[in-house]
Amino acid sequence: MLIEIRNLDKNYIMGEIEVPALIDVNVSIKQNEYVAIMGPSGSGKSTLMNILGCLDTPSGGNYFFNDVDVSSLNDDQLSAMRNREIGFIFQSFNLLPRMSSLHNVELPLMYAGILKNERRERAINALERVGLADRMGHKPTELSGGQRQRVAIARALVTNPGILLADEPTGALDSKTGDEIMNLFDELHREGNTIILITHEQEIADYAHRTIFLKDGKIFTDEPNKRFKK
Amino acid sequence: MQFEENIKVAIRGLIEHKFRSFLTMLGIIFGVASVIAMLSIGEGAKREAIAKYQDLGVNNIIIRDKDLSDSELEEMRARFSQGLSLTDAEVIKDLVPGVERIASQSELSREIQFADKTARSTIIGITSEYADILNYETDKGVFISADHYDRELKVCVLGAGIVQTLFQGRDPIGQMVKIEDQWLEVIGTLQSKTLFTETVGELASRDLNNDIFIPLTTFHQRFEPGNRLASELKQITVQVQNSNRLLESSELIRNILDRHHYNNQDYSIVIPYELLKQEEKERRIYNFLLGAIAAISLIVGGIGIMNIMLATVMERTREIGIRRAIGARKADIMSQFVTEAVAISITGGIIGVIMGVSLSLIISLFTDVTTFIRLYSIFIAFGFSVVVGISFGYLPAKSAANLKPIESIRYE
Ligand SMILES: Nc1ncnc2c1ncn2[C@@H]1O[C@H](COP(=O)(O)OP(=O)(O)O)[C@@H](O)[C@H]1O
Ligand SMILES: [Mg+2]
Repeated sequence: MLIEIRNLDKNYIMGEIEVPALIDVNVSIKQNEYVAIMGPSGSGKSTLMNILGCLDTPSGGNYFFNDVDVSSLNDDQLSAMRNREIGFIFQSFNLLPRMSSLHNVELPLMYAGILKNERRERAINALERVGLADRMGHKPTELSGGQRQRVAIARALVTNPGILLADEPTGALDSKTGDEIMNLFDELHREGNTIILITHEQEIADYAHRTIFLKDGKIFTDEPNKRFKK
Repeated sequence: MQFEENIKVAIRGLIEHKFRSFLTMLGIIFGVASVIAMLSIGEGAKREAIAKYQDLGVNNIIIRDKDLSDSELEEMRARFSQGLSLTDAEVIKDLVPGVERIASQSELSREIQFADKTARSTIIGITSEYADILNYETDKGVFISADHYDRELKVCVLGAGIVQTLFQGRDPIGQMVKIEDQWLEVIGTLQSKTLFTETVGELASRDLNNDIFIPLTTFHQRFEPGNRLASELKQITVQVQNSNRLLESSELIRNILDRHHYNNQDYSIVIPYELLKQEEKERRIYNFLLGAIAAISLIVGGIGIMNIMLATVMERTREIGIRRAIGARKADIMSQFVTEAVAISITGGIIGVIMGVSLSLIISLFTDVTTFIRLYSIFIAFGFSVVVGISFGYLPAKSAANLKPIESIRYE
C-alpha cells in the first residue's frame, strides 16, 4: 500500500468549541491509482488532502505512507517528505510571483540539495513535459491561468514524487483549459504516477478510476468509477 | 540546502523586492547617519574645548592684573598696592611648593612698522621661561631666550598675522621693525594659532596672531607704560608639577598676593584646567540632547523597518508557506530571512556610514560647528542598526516559520 489511513480524525478549534472536520476516515490507496475525492463544500475534502500532503497534522488516527508512520516524523522529516514524496497542486497555483517559471520549478530541487546544473536540466524537462518549453523565462503574472497551473504541475512533478495531490486544480480555470489540464493528468497517470484529486464536478471526477465521496467529514461512498472516460 | 545556496536565495529575494528592500534600508541609513553625525558634533565640541585650554596649559595657574579705570587705579595705589609685580612672581616661586616654572609678562597695545606698512599689535614683554610654559614654538628663527633677556637685547618674535601684514611672503628674519621710536630686530616668527574670540574666564580675548614678543627687560627699559600708575606686570603664569594640586596651590597664591597687595582685589586667578572641567559639565546637557536625538532616529529607523516587515508579512507568510509546502525546512526559511536582514542591514549600514561621515564633514565645512568622528561611533552606529535590522527581520520570520505550512499558505 502506498497510502494507508486508519481511524483518522481532525478537529479544528474555533475559540472554545472543537469543530470536527474529519471523523473516523479509513482509506487505502495503491501505487498508480487515480482517485477523485468528491463531496459538498465543507465536507472535509481539503482537510483530508492537506493531511495526505503533510501540510497539516491529524488530531487522531494513523497515516502510513509507504509503511512509514507519518505522525512519528519530526518537522525536518516532514519537510523532506513534502519535498521528495509529495507533489502538491493547489487551486490557486501558489507560485512565487516574482520568479520565472523555470525558477519556480527549480525551487523544490534546490531544497532537495540538488546542484545547479542538474536542477536546471530537470526543471527544463519538467516544463517541457507540461508543454511550456517556450515560457520558461516568464513570471506567473505574465502567464494565463492554464499556463500557471502547468507551471505548478511541473513544480510538483520535478522531484519525481510518489504521489500527486491536486486540490480542485481546475477550480480557477474555464472548462476548456480545465479539460486540457485533466488530459495532462491522464497522461501523467498513464506514465505511472499516482494521483489524488479533489473536485466537486462530476465531469472532472470522471477522469479518475475511483471516487471517494465525503459527507460531513465521513466517507459516504468509496467505489470504482464506472463512468470513467475511455 | 547549502549555505551558499541560502545566501543566493536571500540576495535574489532582495533584488526581486527592490523597493521594499530600499524602504527597509532607509530606516537603517538614517539611523546610522544621524548617530555618526550627532556623536561627531559632540566629540568636536569636546576637542575644541580641550584644544582651547591646552593652549593655556592644563598645569598652569594664570594670575592677571585687573583692568582698572584711572580712578580705581589711583585708589589701589593709595591703599599701598603696587599691582602685579616681579616681586610677586619671586615670592610665589619661593613660597609655593611644587612650582615647576614661572613666567611673567607685561603688555602694551602699539603700532608696529616695517617699510611703509603698519599693523596694530600687542607687545608682550616676557621672561625666558615663557616659551616652555605655554608651549610656544617658532615657525622660523628662535624664540626669546634667557640670553636675550639678560642682555636686554632689542629683538622680537612676530605672530603669524603680523608677518602676513608686514612682510607678505618676504623673509622677516633679520629685518628691523619699528615700534614707537624703537628699532627691533626680528629673530623669529610664530606658527599661526587658531583664533579664539570667546573670553576664557577673565582672560581678555584678542587675536593671538597679532602678538609680538620681546624680552621683559627690554620692554621695561624701552617702552613707557600708557599710565604712570600701571602695574609692573600684566600676567604671571605659574606652572605646577602636579595638576591635582592646582586648587591647593592657587589658594596659597591667593593668600600670598592678598598679603602683598594689602587685601586689594586688583588681580584675578584663572585655572584653565578647572575651566575645562567646568565647561565639560556644562556640555553634558548638550551631549545628552545629541544622544537623545541620535537614539530617537535609531528608534524611528527601527520602527520603519518593523513597519515594512509587518506590511509585507502577509505576502511573506504566503511565500514561507509555499516554500514549506515544497520542502523547505524551518532552518532554510530562517536562514533565508536572516541572510536577507543581514544583507539589508549591512548595505544600509555602509550607506549610512558614508552619509554620516559626509554629513559631519559638511557640517564642519559649512557651519562653524566643529565635528570629529571617532572610530568607535561608527562601530556603535553600525553595530546597533545591524542588530535592530536583524531582530526586526528575524522575529516575524521566526513566527511565520513556526506556523503549520497550511496555515501560512492560507494566511490573509
Ligand atoms: N483552518 C480552519 N479552521 C477552522 N475550521 C476549518 C478550517 N479549515 C476548514 N475548517 C472547517 O472544516 C470543515 C471542512 O473544511 P474543508 O476541508 O475546507 O472542506 P472542503 O474542502 O470539502 O470544502 C469546514 O466545516 C470548515 O469550515
Ligand atoms: Mg476545499
